[in-house]
Order: sequence, then C-alpha cells, then structure tokens
Amino acid sequence: MYMEHNNMKITSKEFNAITGEETITERDETAAEAKSRLDFVKELASEQAQAQAKAAAKAALLKKLGITEAESELLLA
Amino acid sequence: MAKQTFTTGQVLTAAQMTSLQQTAMLGGAASAKTASYVLVAADAGTAITMNSASATTITVNTALFAAGDTVQIINLGAGVCTITAGTATVNTSATLALAQYESGTLDFISTSAAIFIKGAGATGTTTESYNLINTGGTTLTGAATFTVSGISKKALFLYIENAQVSSGDRLRITFNSDTTNNYQFTGARSSAGAAYLPYRSGDVANIEFLRNGTSTTNGNYAFLQFRGCDGTGFKPFVATSNCTDSTTTGNEYIQSGYYKGTSAITTVQLFTSSGNNFTGGTFYVYGAQ
Repeated sequence: MYMEHNNMKITSKEFNAITGEETITERDETAAEAKSRLDFVKELASEQAQAQAKAAAKAALLKKLGITEAESELLLA
Repeated sequence: MAKQTFTTGQVLTAAQMTSLQQTAMLGGAASAKTASYVLVAADAGTAITMNSASATTITVNTALFAAGDTVQIINLGAGVCTITAGTATVNTSATLALAQYESGTLDFISTSAAIFIKGAGATGTTTESYNLINTGGTTLTGAATFTVSGISKKALFLYIENAQVSSGDRLRITFNSDTTNNYQFTGARSSAGAAYLPYRSGDVANIEFLRNGTSTTNGNYAFLQFRGCDGTGFKPFVATSNCTDSTTTGNEYIQSGYYKGTSAITTVQLFTSSGNNFTGGTFYVYGAQ
C-alpha cells in the first residue's frame, strides 16, 4: 500500500465550478509529495515501534508484579 | 435595440424610435438567457441578462462585431456568469466573472477583440449568502488530490465531511496549486486524547488541518473559513477539525492564520500527506460574494 520507491502515481480529480466538468488525471508525484510520503511512512513506522515497545514494557511489568491488566487499572483508578 | 442597417428614405416607426431612444439612454429591452450562451452578431447594441442558479458563461467569438459595438451583460442569477474568450480576445482590468446582480459591458475595439468593463458592484462587504460552488459536493474516493476550480468569491467556507483516509494520514489544503511557503497559522491541537497544546506553523507549503487515527474507517470532519479571497492581500482563516478517533493518533485542531498568496483564489486543493487515495467522505466548497 505504501510505495517507497520514487514515481508513485498520484490520482487527481478536478471539478470546474464554471463548466461543471470533472476531470481525472494521473501523474508522477512531485519531489515535495515524495518527501511528504516518505516522512509519513517513517513517522508511522516510528509510532508503531514506540507503541509496540510500550506494550511490551507494560506486559513485562505486569508479569513482574504478578497482576493482570484489569487489576492494574483497578489500582490506578 | 439590436444594431440596424438603415437605408436611404426609410421611415422609422414609433416603436423603433422608442427603442432607439432607450438604447441611447443606455437602457432598452434585454435578451433573457438561462444557460450558457455564445454571442451572435444580432446581440450588438443589446443587453443580455443571465438568470441561472448554476455557473454560466458568455462566450465571445471573432468576426461577429465591429469596432465600436457594445453588448451589456447583466447577471440576475445566483450562479456566477463568466465572460469567456472563445475565438476573440477579451481583456479587462477587473474580473470576467459577474456575481449575482453585477453587470458589465463588452466594448469591441476590433472584430476580434473586446474590453470588458465591469460595472461597480458592492465592495468591501459580503452581500450574498454562501452558495455551494461544487454542486452536490465532491465525493472523496478514487484520488489523493481533489481540486475545485473556477472559484471567484470574496469568502470561502470549506466543509470536509466524514473523510476516510489511511491510518495516521494527514489532511492538507493549498490554494491556486501554490506549494511555496505561503501559509502561516497558529492554534492548538490535541493528540491521542491529551490536553490541547499550542503550536505554530510559520511559512509552510500548505495548511495541515487534521490527522486521522489508526483506523481507516474513522470519520474526519473539518470547517475552514477564509476571507478576502478575491483580493491581492492576505487571506485570513479560522478552522476547527476533529477525527472521530481521538484516542490514538487522531488529532483535534483549532487554528487561525493566513494564506499569504497575492493572487485571488481560483482553485482549492484538498490532499493527503501520504499520497494514498481517500476512501470516503465529501468535500463541500461554499462561496459568498
């Protein structure tokens, strides 16, 4: 779904308010769009890694304490 | 009355004299149109009224009019009526678009060129209610970029309803396909359900106004209102937006700022930061004159 190589195709739709016509075009992404896409992919991967690390640390702590997640929430309530 | 070719010894009727008098006094009967129209030679010296709820055009072609001929255009309808150069050249110091109750005159300087002199309309204030520019709204599927063009309004109100995009994707807009650092805004945003935090984006290449949560079926909603859109100065805006999933990466924004482009806004682009296609939602563009 997320293509990291260059020249990803961008589909654009345009509605002309004067003529009422809709046109659909497909073009290569611009350099700015490519940068935006790659930043997006990196950001998403970083967030997923952080979320996984956080979940793993939480599971390890619960195991160390010998309580379930529901019990930990009860403690924090 | 329409331009006549008089002959020697011709006797004018009272009706013809009355019509000539009206024309001489810049009045006279108008030819009523309700849809886009291409001018014909018989329109010389007459007035054309346009009355349509949708946008229309008046097309001007060559070899129909002589230097000195005039055609007055009056827009009675809610849809913008735009004077369009067909095969002829049409120049103006103003805009070729006539909002409701605006008028202008085509003054032909040759058989192939005219100057459009727009009459003074209301200025400085918004006198028209907001009207939907993109009829029915634009369905947000099958593309990553959606453009609404042919805009000629003093104020714009953009409404994004239930937009569906990639996990964590960001929604952005630009005007006139301007991707230079002409956008400046400040505000507060909440991420992952936390308290609102202030932020500022100075001189950036677009207005980012929303971020989706982790689900592709989240609804993303936004209002953005811009002023001064038909002028050369800054276009100030206010905006608020929400993702229905604010517990993960979904953001809620409150923003105000400027589009600093010096041209009147004629197009608006809505797009994703990922380049991935939208998978749902509707984009409404309302304008007021």
